[in-house]
Parts: sequence; C-alpha cells; structure tokens
Amino acid sequence: MAAPSRLSLLQVCSTRLFLLRCTQAFHSEPAVREPAYPPVIPSRTAKSKSAKKRREEDYHSQIRAASSVQDKLRLLTKLQRDKYVVYPQTFTLNADRWYQHFTKTVFLPGLPEKCSVGRQVVDNENGKVPPAAGGVEPAVVDENTFSELRSLVGNGILQENFYLKKRRPFLQKEQEHFVAPFLSNLVSSVTNALAKYNPLLKKSSLGSKVTDPCSYGHTQFHLVHDRFKRDRLIKGNLADQIEVRLRANAIASLFAWTGAQAMYQGFWSHEDLTRPFVSQAVVTDGQYFSFFCYQLNTLALTVQTDQNNPRKNICWGSESMRLYEEVKDGEVVGFNDDVLKLLVHFLLNKPQKM
Amino acid sequence: MFKVVLHGVRSNEPMLLAVQKGNASRSAFLKYSHRRRCDVGGRRFFSATWSLFGRGPPSRKEKKTVDIPGLERVTYADRMHFVPGLAKPIFPEWQRDWHDPHHYRGPDNEEMKLHKENPCYIFNQRTKILEGVRQALWLTKSKLIQGLPEHILSLAEDPANQIEDQDERVQQAIRHSRFWDTTALRPKRDRFCPVLLRDLLHLCGTLQVKHTSLSKRILAENYGVAALWNRESDVFQVRGLNGMLLNSMTPLPAVAQSGEVLATENHTLETFYPISPTIDLQCTYVYDQKNDTGFRDGYPYPHTHTLFFTETEDSAAKFKPEQLRAKMIMFAFGNALARAKSLYGEHPQVLEHPVVVQSIATDGRLFQFIVLQLNTTDLGPDTGVKNLVWMDQDQLLYDYAKCRPLIKKKVVTVPAGLSGYQPETFKKFLALHLHGAV
Repeated sequence: MAAPSRLSLLQVCSTRLFLLRCTQAFHSEPAVREPAYPPVIPSRTAKSKSAKKRREEDYHSQIRAASSVQDKLRLLTKLQRDKYVVYPQTFTLNADRWYQHFTKTVFLPGLPEKCSVGRQVVDNENGKVPPAAGGVEPAVVDENTFSELRSLVGNGILQENFYLKKRRPFLQKEQEHFVAPFLSNLVSSVTNALAKYNPLLKKSSLGSKVTDPCSYGHTQFHLVHDRFKRDRLIKGNLADQIEVRLRANAIASLFAWTGAQAMYQGFWSHEDLTRPFVSQAVVTDGQYFSFFCYQLNTLALTVQTDQNNPRKNICWGSESMRLYEEVKDGEVVGFNDDVLKLLVHFLLNKPQKM
Repeated sequence: MFKVVLHGVRSNEPMLLAVQKGNASRSAFLKYSHRRRCDVGGRRFFSATWSLFGRGPPSRKEKKTVDIPGLERVTYADRMHFVPGLAKPIFPEWQRDWHDPHHYRGPDNEEMKLHKENPCYIFNQRTKILEGVRQALWLTKSKLIQGLPEHILSLAEDPANQIEDQDERVQQAIRHSRFWDTTALRPKRDRFCPVLLRDLLHLCGTLQVKHTSLSKRILAENYGVAALWNRESDVFQVRGLNGMLLNSMTPLPAVAQSGEVLATENHTLETFYPISPTIDLQCTYVYDQKNDTGFRDGYPYPHTHTLFFTETEDSAAKFKPEQLRAKMIMFAFGNALARAKSLYGEHPQVLEHPVVVQSIATDGRLFQFIVLQLNTTDLGPDTGVKNLVWMDQDQLLYDYAKCRPLIKKKVVTVPAGLSGYQPETFKKFLALHLHGAV
C-alpha cells in the first residue's frame, strides 16, 4: 500500500513558513461574497412563536417609519384591546403603591429643592435675596402682590362659604356646591395677578389640549370628589389612606398628562424619551392642599423594553397642608401663608431656555 | 290616582289627553313620548302603555243626595257590611297619626302662611314670555336703543386695550371648546358653551397686567336674586338661580347722562293689546315680598358688573334668541333693582346715580349683549322717567365649526375646522368686560 507520507501536524506547524502563511491568513480580510440566497427569517403567517415575533417587529418598524406623529398615533391606537382602566380617584387600598408599580414611578416625599418654601419667595424690604446656585433664579414676589393675593384668596373662600346665600347642597354635592367655584376663582385670580411676574402665564390657556404653541403642560388642579373626602375616610377608619389617595391621584393623572404630551411629540414605548417631561399638580378639597411635581423619564414600560431600562419616573409630593382653619362670622381664621407661597411658587415656575 | 278621558280623536302621535295627573305619571308620560315604545329587544312597555293610554274604568254618575237635618238616612255602618236598601255611610276623614312622606298632602294655598290677596306674577329662570323683548321692556318700564353705546365700543378699538395675538388666541379658545375638549367626535352644546365662556373670560383676565383694577372683580355662580316691584296695580317679581355673575368693588359709571335720561319722559311704552303684559309669567297667591341681591351685607364686591347666560343641561331651559334676550333684560333689571333698593330704600324715586348692569348671553356661537341703566324705581305709573336698554343682538362669533366637512354633491362646501371667524364680536365682549375698569 502506498501510504501517503504525511508530515505530522506538529512538524508542519513548527515550520516558520507555515507560521507566516498562517498569520497572514488570520489577519487578512476574507473575500467578500454576495449572498446567493435571501436572509433566513421566520415566516410572517405561520402559527409559531418566531412568526409572532416577526409580526411584532414589523409592526414596530412600521410605526418607527411613520411620517408624522398623527400617523404614529393612529397606528398605535388602531387596534383596541381589552384594557384595565386606572382611575386617579379611587377607593382601592394602598393605591399609591399600585400606581407606582403601573407607571414605574419612584415617590420622593417632600418637594425638590427648586420648589421648596425654605428659599426666599417673598422679598422683604430689608433682606436681600441670596443668589442661587446653578443659575436658577428664585421667583420673587413683592409684599404688595402677596398681600393682594392673600386678600383675593380670602375673599374667594368667604364668598363661597359665607357671603353667597346658598341653599343646603344636595347629597354628596358639597364639593361642587362650595369648592369648585372657589377653585376656579382662585386659579383665575392668582394666575392673573401673577401674570406680570411670569410672562408664560399671560400666554396660558385653561384647557386640556396641548398643541402649538402651548405644547407643554404647566399645572393641574384636582378637586377631591365627595366620596373620597377626608371626613368620610375618617368615619370609615381609613385615616391613613387620606395621603395615599392624594398621592395615587397625583401619580396617575400626572403620568397620564406627561405621557400624553410625550406621545404627541412622537415618543412611544420603543422610541424612548430623549428629554424628561415635567409637570406639576395641586390636589385639594377646598381646605387641604397638597402639591406634587412629576418628572417623566421613560415611556418604555412594556415587558420587552423594560429589560434593560435603568430609568424610572420620579414623583415628588408634599403632605396635605391646611390653607385655613375655618370660616367664622365673615372672617377666615388661621390662614396659612406657607401654602399660598408654595402655590405662588408653583405658578411662577418658568421654563428655562436650553 | 288619575283619571284618563279618551277623546274621539284618532291620531298617530301620543295624544295630549286630558289627564289629571300627579307628578309621577306626568314624568312617566313625558318619558314615554320622548323615548322609544320598545326596548332594544323589541319588548313593549305595557305597564306604561296601559297606565297612560288605557281606557280606564267607566265613570259612574253620582246620585245627588239631599241632606235634611231632621231626617238622616239609615246607613249600614252599624252592620259593618253592605246591605241593599240602606244608604252608604260617610265616614270622617282618616288622618295618619305619624308623618308619612310618601303619602303627604301639603296645605292648600289659602292655608299657607304667605298667602296674599293680590296675585304676584313671577319671572323665573325658565320663563319664556310670548312677546319677548317688547314685553320685557313694558314690564321694566324701559326704552330700547339698538346698538351698544359708542364710548363702550371705543374701549375695544384702542390698541392699548387689546390682548397680544387677540384673534389667534380667541380662535384657539373656540377650537378648544368645540373640538378638543372630548375624546368623542364632538362635545355637546351644554359642554362647549360654558367652556368657551370660561376661556374667553380667562383671556380677558390676562389684561390684568395692564389694567390693575381688573383684579377687583370676582365671579360668582349659583346665586339667587329676588326683586319686587309694582307696575300699574300688579305686583311683579324676578326670582331665580342665575348662571354666572361678575361682581366688582366699584360700580359701573352711568352710560347715559341726565339730559338723555330726562328726555325719556316723552317716550311712550309699547303695549301689545290684546295680549296682557302678564302672559307667561307664573301667577301665584303665595309669595314672599323680598328684595335680595343674593349676597350678605359686607360683601367686598357688592356691585353687579355682568351677568352671563349659557346653555345648560336643563332641557327646559333651552331658549330661542328672542326669549333669551327678554330673560337677560329681566334678570339684569332684577339685579339692578335689588341693588338700588338696598342702597336707596324702598320708596319709589328717580335715582340720582343710575345703576348700570351689563349682560352677555351665548349659545356657543351667537352672542347677545345688553346694557341696562336703571334710572328710576318709580315703576307704578306708565309716565315719567324710563330706564334705558342698549341691545346688540345675534352677533356671530364664527360661522361654522365643523368636525367633519360638509360635502354637497362631492364638493366641499364647508371645510372641517373653524371657518368664518368674526373678530368684531370678541371686541364687543372685551369692551363690555373692560367697561368700568379702564
């Protein structure tokens, strides 16, 4: 038999020539060849998991490729499925923890530094306003305007509860009867009074639609419904749920609002936000006010997109504070200035140019 | 219990029968005639049909009984059962010894505490009077002047008083109220009408930066006004829960000067014989004579500035423009009269400082403007100084606000969106708002 004589591999490899040829072969580019067949991708119509995945990918790329935001929204909302409806004012227990989970929100008690009342809000005659770090100017309102605001708010409260002769309200309509007109008066009078400090307020409009040029929401005002009022909760042994409900209300409504604004700008769960969206809310039942500030950082909350998403949405909130103790004989007793200062500060928040 | 009398008339619609009805069956009748005859499954509501349109039991002719004091009839009351031949006993009226709210019959008119000899004709917020503005002018002893006063209109022409991008912002407000306020296709009228009014008021309020006296005003809702006056031997009252009211700390200045006021003495009020001026007013013998502005003493905003009327969900309060204008005049007059009486007393007199009240009504598209100046509270005789009413009627704010375009024969006649905006109307709105503050 003619056994071919072979060099053992080790001997071959040891020859330098071979080595050189080997290294040359490792580092040089392989010859580019046109693929002869189309790429192997799963089917679109088969009854398989990979086909379903492919359909989803196609849908997502179709949305990504949509020409305008309206097209995108139309494609996203074309197919209506069964959904769980989340109500901001709810009777579920510990609703704020639920809502935080639904919207991937972190709740931080207390308001962010920018909005806290510790900083100088009212300019006294003698004191000077200290310069703020980071180029953020604290909003300053002079004493006159502040006292004017105080009298406006006081008059509003008195009008509803004392001066206006009203019949006793029908069952469970107390909030609508007493508080809603006060709130609308409050909002309009305070915004108008502060318009000279914040030119943005001059251009503002009361409403829900955000469109050019007002494409960002500023502040929401929520009135707590009669069913969820404080005294009813205390009667039902749910005194600890008061704050919970207010927080849940704020988280749900602010998430919805900022989310909607972001979607109107073209972001959705697979095209996540490039800049955060911020908004504020004031929740009140006429006497107790709580202030909330929300920053939307991410909309990518689906199972797929949440895999590697380190971002979370943040909500800052305060405890509920009393604006006044009670109304007695035509006088508002125990008016709390801090609450009003916070409200003023909220409304004076100006957007900074980036 | 009610009685149904069937007329010998055949018609396809549910007839308005002579039904002596209580409130429950009246609402059942209305519900039946407005809603469908069947439910979604095609089942008919026989309980409603029979009770409303059934023939009912045959009416019995009652025999006349003659009561002779000495000769009482023998009844079967002692026997405790019917006996043929004996008379039917008449028992005394049985009264329940506890108060049952479901079976309570209120006292008669004559027994009420506030019953009076003379009737009072009341104009409330649902009254739609037949002769409209003419009747309102007779009732309030006023003279009508078409068109708003010149010096008020000139307030809006002044560029210093205009809002930045006024037209654009008003159009945004209209679009917000008509298109964007709902997730459905189009919002209903009783929703977009108050939203539009609030947006326009908010726009006017942004002028507070320039005119600080605008801050001396406040809006009030759901207040009740009451005013009483005599007019040629009849007593009239205006009572009602009004819509929205703008109150201010300072009174409005008089629009017409004293010369013009005295000249109204020569004007004769228009009567409309054979129609009585009290037609369509609620005539009642039980009434309280009071004059009330709706607010307590010491209210920091005592002077009425403007009344606002919008379309509400109350289906009985849908007004045609003529009746709406009449209502505006009556309520403005009621407010002015109540204020004048609280300032100057009940005695009828010619006022030195006339009280001026403005009024704006809208149905979301048409605006009616009225300025009323109360010169006199001496309303009894037909002669003498009259009050003055300036009226600007049926001002369109925009022609069309369509959610879907109007297409006739494949040609788009009216495009979707807001079209035909007229800036003049908002200028008048702004002028009335600024009157008294500038």
